[in-house]
Amino acid sequence: VVVEDQPDVSAVLSAYNQQGDPTLYEEYYSGLKHFIECSLDCHRAELSQLFYPLFVHMYLELVYNQHESEAKSFFERFHGDQECYYQDDLRVLSSLTKKEHMKGNETMLDFRTSKFVLRISRDSYQLLKRHLQEKQNNQIWNIVQEHLYIDIFDGMPRSKQQIDAMVGSLAGEAKREANKAKVFFGLLKEPEFDVPLDDEDEEGENEEGKPKKKKPKKDNVGSKSKKQDPNAPPQNRIPLPELKDSDKLDKVMNMKEAARRVRLGPECLPSICFYTFLNAYQGLTAVDITDDSSMIVGGFADSTVRVWSVTPKKLRSVKTAADLSLIDKESDDVLERIMDEKTASELKILYGHSGPVYGTSFSPDRNYLLSCSEDGTVRLWSLQTFTCLVGYKGHNYPVWDTQFSPYGYYFVSGGHDRVARLWATDHYQPLRIFAGHLADVTCTRFHPNSNYIATGSADRTIRLWDVLNGNCVRIFTGHKGPIHSLAFSPNGRFLATGATDGRVLLWDIGHGLMVGELKGHTDTIYALRFSRDGEILASGSMDNTVRLWDAVKAFEDLETDDFTTATGHINLPENSQDLLLGTYMTKSTPVVHLHFTRRNLLLAAGAYSSQ
Amino acid sequence: MEAAKMASPKSAPKDAQVPGGTRRGRGGTEGRGAERCPRGPAGYVTTILEDAKIYSSHAKKASVDADDVRLAIQCRTDQSFTSPPPRDFLLDIARQKNQTPLPLIKPYSGPRLPPDRYCLTAPNYRLKALQKKVSSTAGRITVPRLSVGAVSSRPSTPTLGTPSAQTVSVSAKVGAPVSLAGQRFTVQIPSSQPTGKSATPTTPTVQNVLINPSLIGPKNILITTNMVSQGTASDPNPLKRKHEDEDDYDTL
Repeated sequence: VVVEDQPDVSAVLSAYNQQGDPTLYEEYYSGLKHFIECSLDCHRAELSQLFYPLFVHMYLELVYNQHESEAKSFFERFHGDQECYYQDDLRVLSSLTKKEHMKGNETMLDFRTSKFVLRISRDSYQLLKRHLQEKQNNQIWNIVQEHLYIDIFDGMPRSKQQIDAMVGSLAGEAKREANKAKVFFGLLKEPEFDVPLDDEDEEGENEEGKPKKKKPKKDNVGSKSKKQDPNAPPQNRIPLPELKDSDKLDKVMNMKEAARRVRLGPECLPSICFYTFLNAYQGLTAVDITDDSSMIVGGFADSTVRVWSVTPKKLRSVKTAADLSLIDKESDDVLERIMDEKTASELKILYGHSGPVYGTSFSPDRNYLLSCSEDGTVRLWSLQTFTCLVGYKGHNYPVWDTQFSPYGYYFVSGGHDRVARLWATDHYQPLRIFAGHLADVTCTRFHPNSNYIATGSADRTIRLWDVLNGNCVRIFTGHKGPIHSLAFSPNGRFLATGATDGRVLLWDIGHGLMVGELKGHTDTIYALRFSRDGEILASGSMDNTVRLWDAVKAFEDLETDDFTTATGHINLPENSQDLLLGTYMTKSTPVVHLHFTRRNLLLAAGAYSSQ
Repeated sequence: MEAAKMASPKSAPKDAQVPGGTRRGRGGTEGRGAERCPRGPAGYVTTILEDAKIYSSHAKKASVDADDVRLAIQCRTDQSFTSPPPRDFLLDIARQKNQTPLPLIKPYSGPRLPPDRYCLTAPNYRLKALQKKVSSTAGRITVPRLSVGAVSSRPSTPTLGTPSAQTVSVSAKVGAPVSLAGQRFTVQIPSSQPTGKSATPTTPTVQNVLINPSLIGPKNILITTNMVSQGTASDPNPLKRKHEDEDDYDTL
């Protein structure tokens, strides 16, 4: 598989060569601008996509080749013409005035050496090419060829609205071939169990994995269809840990809870229970809640990791080895007896990191806790002894997010070094490195089948990576700010993403398309979560609100066909208002985490901030 | 700019050359603390200029010029800041890493952790015994040897599975405790006991100290607690001190 973004040597070297006369750059740009503004309406929107990448590349050329005064006047003349969603980039650019400033700014260097992707219809492209190949425009044609990759499609030119929905990233849009690979987005089969009936019915009949007929059926307990889902990965595509007895017990518990789960929908909204962290002094930087909602962990800017028990049951450490050898290993309540009552407390504080803790993640079996920090390490803590077991060093720069795989054993981390790493708890080095983003990886999530990892980045793209071979199988563009939250739908088919632009975007993974846009939030969205059966999407934001969206409606009747994929002619309905089921305000508490309990009660967490 | 800065110490009055003095007299260059006083507390500009002077004289140039200053800035920045690896390097190591297939997972292998030396589960101290006060025959000191890997049947102490095979070294110097290099915390058990007790190779509790690495964290508070509570006939004072240290570490 070709790694598409890798520049070859000649491309890198030629990027350093002088493209034309620096004093004429303003003329080249304004000439092109004039041409585009005079072109037909139907082509203008598409051709206007050239402004931003050309502006930035030409400016960086001038700076890199040390033509400071030309660079400055070029910037001043044209920066106001750019689209509003590029303002943050322009602000960074305005401070980059000397060649020395560019060294050390890896994002800018990556931008210079990669080709900005534009998707333009064949007609518009012909128009452009004809114009630029005229003698006097040769220089700018060279520049275009040097820095832009124009992905041509056959079809109608896109409208400004369609284009605006999909542009915004530092890398442009995604090439069509970037989203062509087959993705196994189906779920892995759950093992079949004999589910003991719940307490109301005391007979201990064994039923093959199905709950009692009176209760509503859950269709994500895999025993219904015996056929292999063609979209699901083979069970052994990636090695996964075997199910231990404790895991099986947990699954049985899960199924019992699932049977009592509330079915959510527009008529039946979840209750929301908000956990407010008081006196955190704006130091709360990460939150996670266990799957069974028994523990909550907070990562703080003072480098501590604090674990609380959500239930009345307190947190206990195991006894010392001396005491453990005294207990009766055959007794039924051995798991209770190994706990040391003297250590029972509601709160456990874990010390070890030397910088703010930016991400936390419980293991599915609740034995381990991961935390990642600005100090560049990811730490594995034992929740049985409440001590640190391992420090994984690999990123030497702040690690922004980490998450355990839904099956345990593997975990992913992403950081300032622009890569995400896949680790296993028993390897001190990463197993996979996912490199390709142009800027920091700010958010990392596993797909429910653990075969894929989604990474959101400060370069405003989301990439989907294959765990098996490290390839990037999807690139999603459209956000206008760094991505801070990702959520896979429980059926594995869709991805919801939230960024600093306040929009939640919905993506169809199989087709590689944007299928929805939820507008409403006015500030960064830090938390996204689907309800247990995928009926509701909850989003939490810095604007102190939790919003509930109708996911069933958002994903029905999708126009995802080959034409849309090929041409990018997405037609997003303006239905945010219809999909919004409720907005819930907090008392000046930004929402940092959302979690649906097994019975579909929504838990939310955030730190009270008095501003 | 550089020339003007260099000239100022010569022309400034005496009191302007004092670190506090410049704040009062100099009208033109307020605002930035020590930068205004080249001979005052070292500011950023001072350091850079001094470096630039050194480079310039090394290159045998008549005066400091912009290139020297640029070089000085570059070197200082490289000392203080690093940047993440470049993209081609990342893509290269990614390609290498991603080629190896994912390792198979051995079933039923207990807690899946890396080899002990990559974990933080080892104790950060080792127990050793002080030799008793002996005569100056340096070669014949019988110091109770602590074999840290020894297993014993004493049930009341936790077990240590430390990978380090070293035993405690014997000090040739009388009375001076040997502190093991690299160990953060040396617990000394002076064997200043009646001969009867010390005839047994160390206090039994010391020998029995074996810790299960997966259960106990780095501080190993529990061991010393047990040690103290065993009521060994060791000198109580050093142990008591250690006991108090543990209380500082206890997070409960």
